[in-house]
Amino acid sequence: MDDWKPSPLIKPFGARKKRSWYLTWKYKLTNQRTLRRFCQTGAVLFLLVTVIVNIKLILDTRRAISEASEDLEPEQDYDETLGRLEPPRRRGSGPRRVLDVEVYSSRSKVYVAVDGTTVLEDEAREQGRGIHVIVLNQATGHVMAKRVFDTYSPHEDEAMVLFLNMVAPGRVLICTVKDEGSFHLKDTAKALLRSLGSQAGPALGWRDTWAFVGRKGGPVLGEKHSKSPALSSWGDPVLLKTDVPLSSAEEAECHWTDTEMNRRRRRFCSKVEGYGSVCSCKDPTPIEFSPDPLPNNKVLNVPVAVIAGNRPNYLYRMLRSLLSAQGVSPQMITVFIDGYYEEPMDVVALFGLRGIQHTPISIKNARVSQHYKASLTATFNLFPEAKFAVVLEEDLDIAVDFFSFLSQSIHLLEEDDSLYCISAWNDQGYEHTAEDPALLYRVETMPGLGWVLRRSLYKEELEPKWPTPEKLWDWDMWMRMPEQRRGRECIIPDVSRSYHFGIVGLNMNGYFHEAYFKKHKFNTVPGVQLRNVDSLKKEAYEVEIHRLLSGAEVLDHSKDPCEDSFLPDTEGHTFVAFIRMEKEDDFTTWTQLAKCLHIWDLDVRGNHRGLWRLFRKKNHFLVVGVPASPYSVKKPPSVTPIFLEPPPKEEGAPGAAEQT
Amino acid sequence: MGKLNNANESSLKIINAYLNEGWFRIAENMGFQCLKIESKDPRLDGIDSLSGTEIPLHYICKLATHAIHLVVFHERSGNYLWHGHLRLKGHIDKKFVPFQKLQFGRYPGAFDRPELQQVTIDGLTVRIPKNPVHFLEEIPHSRFIECRYKEARAFFQQYLDDNTVEAMTFRKSAKDLLQLAAKTLKKLGVRFWLSSGTCLGWYRQCNIIPYSKDVDLGIFIQDYKSDIIIAFQDAGLPLKHKFGKVEDSLELSFQGKDDVKLDIFFFYEETDHMWNGGTQAKTGKKFKYLFPKFTLCWTEFVDMKVHVPCETIEYIEANYGKTWKIPVKMWDWKNSPPNVRSNGIWPISEWDEVIQLY
Repeated sequence: MDDWKPSPLIKPFGARKKRSWYLTWKYKLTNQRTLRRFCQTGAVLFLLVTVIVNIKLILDTRRAISEASEDLEPEQDYDETLGRLEPPRRRGSGPRRVLDVEVYSSRSKVYVAVDGTTVLEDEAREQGRGIHVIVLNQATGHVMAKRVFDTYSPHEDEAMVLFLNMVAPGRVLICTVKDEGSFHLKDTAKALLRSLGSQAGPALGWRDTWAFVGRKGGPVLGEKHSKSPALSSWGDPVLLKTDVPLSSAEEAECHWTDTEMNRRRRRFCSKVEGYGSVCSCKDPTPIEFSPDPLPNNKVLNVPVAVIAGNRPNYLYRMLRSLLSAQGVSPQMITVFIDGYYEEPMDVVALFGLRGIQHTPISIKNARVSQHYKASLTATFNLFPEAKFAVVLEEDLDIAVDFFSFLSQSIHLLEEDDSLYCISAWNDQGYEHTAEDPALLYRVETMPGLGWVLRRSLYKEELEPKWPTPEKLWDWDMWMRMPEQRRGRECIIPDVSRSYHFGIVGLNMNGYFHEAYFKKHKFNTVPGVQLRNVDSLKKEAYEVEIHRLLSGAEVLDHSKDPCEDSFLPDTEGHTFVAFIRMEKEDDFTTWTQLAKCLHIWDLDVRGNHRGLWRLFRKKNHFLVVGVPASPYSVKKPPSVTPIFLEPPPKEEGAPGAAEQT
Repeated sequence: MGKLNNANESSLKIINAYLNEGWFRIAENMGFQCLKIESKDPRLDGIDSLSGTEIPLHYICKLATHAIHLVVFHERSGNYLWHGHLRLKGHIDKKFVPFQKLQFGRYPGAFDRPELQQVTIDGLTVRIPKNPVHFLEEIPHSRFIECRYKEARAFFQQYLDDNTVEAMTFRKSAKDLLQLAAKTLKKLGVRFWLSSGTCLGWYRQCNIIPYSKDVDLGIFIQDYKSDIIIAFQDAGLPLKHKFGKVEDSLELSFQGKDDVKLDIFFFYEETDHMWNGGTQAKTGKKFKYLFPKFTLCWTEFVDMKVHVPCETIEYIEANYGKTWKIPVKMWDWKNSPPNVRSNGIWPISEWDEVIQLY
């Protein structure tokens, strides 16, 4: 190692020469480790900054909130933004003076758009055939009414004429045809269209398409029409685009005197069309009624629940009759609407009543039964002191002495535990089978259609076990079941105090209405004094029946009970007939008798321990089922009970029992 | 009764049978500046999604330096009157009147229905409660909290409600028992609140839990009165067992009809917590259940006005833990509650006094 000499290439070992600071920093910065460190620090700094900004934001927001509510207790607020679903409506009418309207008519689709918003669109198959009519407010462009008239079918054109005649002058009318609208478009309707200025409407032919925009009483604003070339084909689709000039708000409204009532009327009439003379400028129908007060009114503080859906014109008719009844307390009325429909709420607001909307649950009849439950619970919640509630529906006319009838009979519901309800409806009370408005019966059925519900019955028995939403049951059929009714009876009048006028509904149709409801007797006599009300209590009623049967004349049982000649041509007598009724549930003969007498025969109604009471030819007619009825003892031994056999079943026997 | 005092602000209370707002316009025409506070009707909240128009809760009418605060009371099931929270929505002027000074409106409140009498004050005929002292005494203790209907509905979406006949019958018996107990304790002037399983039922599902087997109430030990036992006996509820003594871990249990028991737990106050005691009859073991301190609020439960702890979630979580939302059918009072502590054992000499079974 002695001759080791340092290599000249290698730098001498010793203190490093100082580099220039530029190089030092360059090396430091480009060094991998430094770079990494730099990035890490950068990331941490960035995070810190974000955190600080967030904290500051939170503190600021907190401070802002606490300033806003410094007087108040921070409280949970549910559903503050429960919005009501609104149908598509024209957006704010600023200084716009013109509406841009599009109308489309074709075989399978119709639509109408106002300023870009579709207000009508129907391209579903198998429905919406005929002439669609839309009424717009001439000052705002707001949709006031939407109707469809299936003028392919008979009588719809008459409805259309009725409707169009009721529309106020100046309103914008839009018509469009889907599929076919001329087959039953008769002369009166055609003349009306001509008077609107339409040229194609009066000449509408088979399967033609037609779109029309005009004013009621004023000029046509646009019209397009396409003739169908052959019987088997349709007219071409037509698309009509027009500009509709808007009038001022003042021109669109009437000038009624400024009262609270007319303010409500104005609000209603500027939103809704199709209610005729309510909105007439010259002679508006009254919307406030002053029926005679009822002296000693025992039902003054009984809440009234009107169960409604989306049939606003029915609701309108019903509320008019309700508010005209003697002894009505408008502040006790609550209308429960099954769904967020505007027009029924508008009708309720027109009359100044309280309306509550219910979010619909479930489907079909279960939806109705859930709506009933919510409405009844709400009624008893809103009126915690009330021991009863009156339950009405939107398709009933209410008799002028409805409350008088209840005032005289309600003490029975209070005093007699064997009673289930009081109802205004006699299932068997037709024009030819009901006579005496002062007469009451006890029956083993729950007719509904205008009735009184005891609070204790609802709260203790019905509400806890009301059918749940998935059970597709009719609420009234459920209430009639023996598990619910438990052998209790309802009080009904001989002549009904309500009239069911609804033709359209979940369980209704025109034929059903004609057959079972149209000829129902309805009391129009005011202030009827009910006779011998206390004889409707349990034991007293038996005494009364006994008295009636003892004095009744036994008819000739060899004659045909379906014939009018079964009863002699007297008036005011009491007759009794005995029919075969083997067991408590044997209704074979009764059902046949009900059928031939044209009263309710879809199921058994109106009986009390095997006894039915009605009138025939203005005589009181009692029917006793032998031997099931305890009143069979009144049958003379020589009399054979009548037996009516059901006819042999033909194919396609008429459908199952349908109830409303 | 003399002159109306409170020169700057007077409160008027009216019962809303049917509030006609004609007076509102008249007041405005006279120069008053009026403010109306309305809100949704809580009586409709308990039912699935009903919404009606809002109901008026408060009116404040101001003229120069005077203001009149009109509180609208609404009747609710359970024979009581309820008034709403005075909550100022966004656009309302916060300086309209000194809201902090108002006597009513900080919380919703519940009051017994007072009978009214007509008097003349300053030449004006007005009506005041027949027992004004009682009404005024109620004010500081009138705070009301609503049952959590929305959460209850969510609960039933998840755990279907029991609709069997047994459940219904139990609910009815429990409700009757609760009403009887409430009536008896009210007559004695003893305050109580819903405790344990009954409180959980209120908080979680706004109803009686069908499998809870009994009704549980809490009473502060300082409110104890010696004639409680006799009063219940007279009401038809015989004493089933008595554990502990007034000084320590007192617990009473009464027998209602249909095999439903009424358990009354007495709560003892310490500096920073509350507790109630439990006793195991067989072994004489003592247990202590700890709760954070709480105050009492009114609420509506099965058509009755009853007390519950205002700080309910803390109370419930102490007793049932964080998993209180999950129904548990098998609950062992000795082990299941998270707030249970063993508290020693009764000396045998005291057993006759502290463990009485009938």
